[in-house]
Amino acid sequence: MTAVTTTAATAEREASMSSRVRPGEIWRIVRLLAVNPTIFFGVPWLILGGAWAVTMIVALIIQGAGGAAVDASDIQEGFRYSWAVLSPQWYLVAVGVQAVAFTFSFALGFGSTRRDYWLGLSAMFVFVAAEMAVAIATLVQIEKATGGWWIGAGMFDTLWYGQSGWTFDFFTTFSLQLFVLFVGAGVTTVYMRWRVRGMMTLFFSFVALVLALIAGFTFTNTWPAVLSWFASIGLLGVFTLTLVAAVVAAVAGFLVIRKATPR
Amino acid sequence: MTTTVARVSGLTKRYGDFTAVDGVDFTLEENRIYGLLGRNGAGKTTIMQLLTGQLFPNGGEIEVFGRTPAEHADVLRRLCFIAESQRYPEDFAPRHVFTAAPWFFENWDQEFADRLIADFRLPLKRPIKKLSRGQLSAVGVIVGLASRAPLTFFDEPYLGLDAVARHIFYDRLLEDFAAHPRTIVLSTHLIDEVANLLEHIILIDQGRILLDRDAEEVRGSATTIAGARAAVEQFVADRPVIGREGLGGLASVTIDGRLDHAERVRAAELGLELAPVSLQQLIVHLTGADLAASIEQEAAA
Repeated sequence: MTAVTTTAATAEREASMSSRVRPGEIWRIVRLLAVNPTIFFGVPWLILGGAWAVTMIVALIIQGAGGAAVDASDIQEGFRYSWAVLSPQWYLVAVGVQAVAFTFSFALGFGSTRRDYWLGLSAMFVFVAAEMAVAIATLVQIEKATGGWWIGAGMFDTLWYGQSGWTFDFFTTFSLQLFVLFVGAGVTTVYMRWRVRGMMTLFFSFVALVLALIAGFTFTNTWPAVLSWFASIGLLGVFTLTLVAAVVAAVAGFLVIRKATPR
Repeated sequence: MTTTVARVSGLTKRYGDFTAVDGVDFTLEENRIYGLLGRNGAGKTTIMQLLTGQLFPNGGEIEVFGRTPAEHADVLRRLCFIAESQRYPEDFAPRHVFTAAPWFFENWDQEFADRLIADFRLPLKRPIKKLSRGQLSAVGVIVGLASRAPLTFFDEPYLGLDAVARHIFYDRLLEDFAAHPRTIVLSTHLIDEVANLLEHIILIDQGRILLDRDAEEVRGSATTIAGARAAVEQFVADRPVIGREGLGGLASVTIDGRLDHAERVRAAELGLELAPVSLQQLIVHLTGADLAASIEQEAAA
């Protein structure tokens, strides 16, 4: 009996000495996630690099097929609808899912708390989103400066990119990237806590919410108002909403994972 | 004085209608080697997952190093548990596991790990997904041994290991345990392989504890009597028989309980041979009672 109380007292003392924030234990999760760098860095850049190579070849084909006769600005206008710059996003959803489905179980086996794991994962997500955002925003500028890599190719200066400056491109990429990662990871925490039943509930609730919104806007004839509201907040507003959604997913994921169990 | 490392009382874990762990009580003392034995699905892994805070109980209390393990970093850092069905991060190879391990286990011994990797001939760069069952077990065994965590769990460490590897695990564990004592919990259904390692046995079946006793006591708690059928039957007539085999006029009967000196002398006079019962035989009897009964019925019919 005495023995147990002694251990309890030791544990209590140690607990009071270590503060709530344990940077070392969060940092080691970041290191664990990066120990195999192909997942967060290698593959996204491989996808982006592959898409870039395809874009280059397409540009060369257009040139070779008598692109000289066509106005260069028309070609660049055509490339504006290329989604190649967004190609790593789909993979990064999977990265978010796997970080919770596999790496979370592993970290628990290595003695991490759920709390430290989620904080470390969040730090990693913020880092990856920032890194991708800096790179893409910079590549947009390089592409513009080189006139489409000297052959009129357009991969980065497309969609909404390249129109409102580096900071805007950085912000939009960062928001989108963080959203993609946290939604993948956050949804997976629901599976890890409540398994298939939780996923079904989440999915049907989401569908019900979307249908309710559609019904609401349709019956109250407020679609034009909704659309003009989106137009009024602009791209900046839309991407700010995306960032808010990412933060919501991050906080929800934290709350859900605290009672999640490994497979 | 012995120190209690873990204490569990009324521990219950349910999955829907299925009760995996059903009101279990036990304690783990410091620096002992425990065998958590039982058949497949008995609840061994579930108990270890509860002790390491990976699962949350539906009832009862768990105290590991003086507190609830779940979400307590100061408790969890003293534990090591690689589950038999452990999931590894996507695209991981063993080298990634061993690179990360020192960040999580403060007593990690890299030299020891390297020696074990060589002993088990574990391919470090092969993806975890492509490892054989034995190699996968080796990853868990190496982490468990080299981590030197004050409370280390080995979940079915022998699964798929070849004879040489089993021997290496056995030797290294005893060697290292002598130099660095710690509490070890070893779950397995391959009982004879580890019988000599174990100091204490916790036998579970269908989520309940059948036996929680010192290994030495368990080993001496049953006896096999062999000899001429008539003599054997006469000798065991009013004793609790837990196993019976026969061939022609010979019989071999296992009884529960020890024999005192007078009884041993009498057995010798009857020309009977007495033999100790292996842990595995005893446990097969204790957990396979229904099976044994049905076989006897079939034999009778």
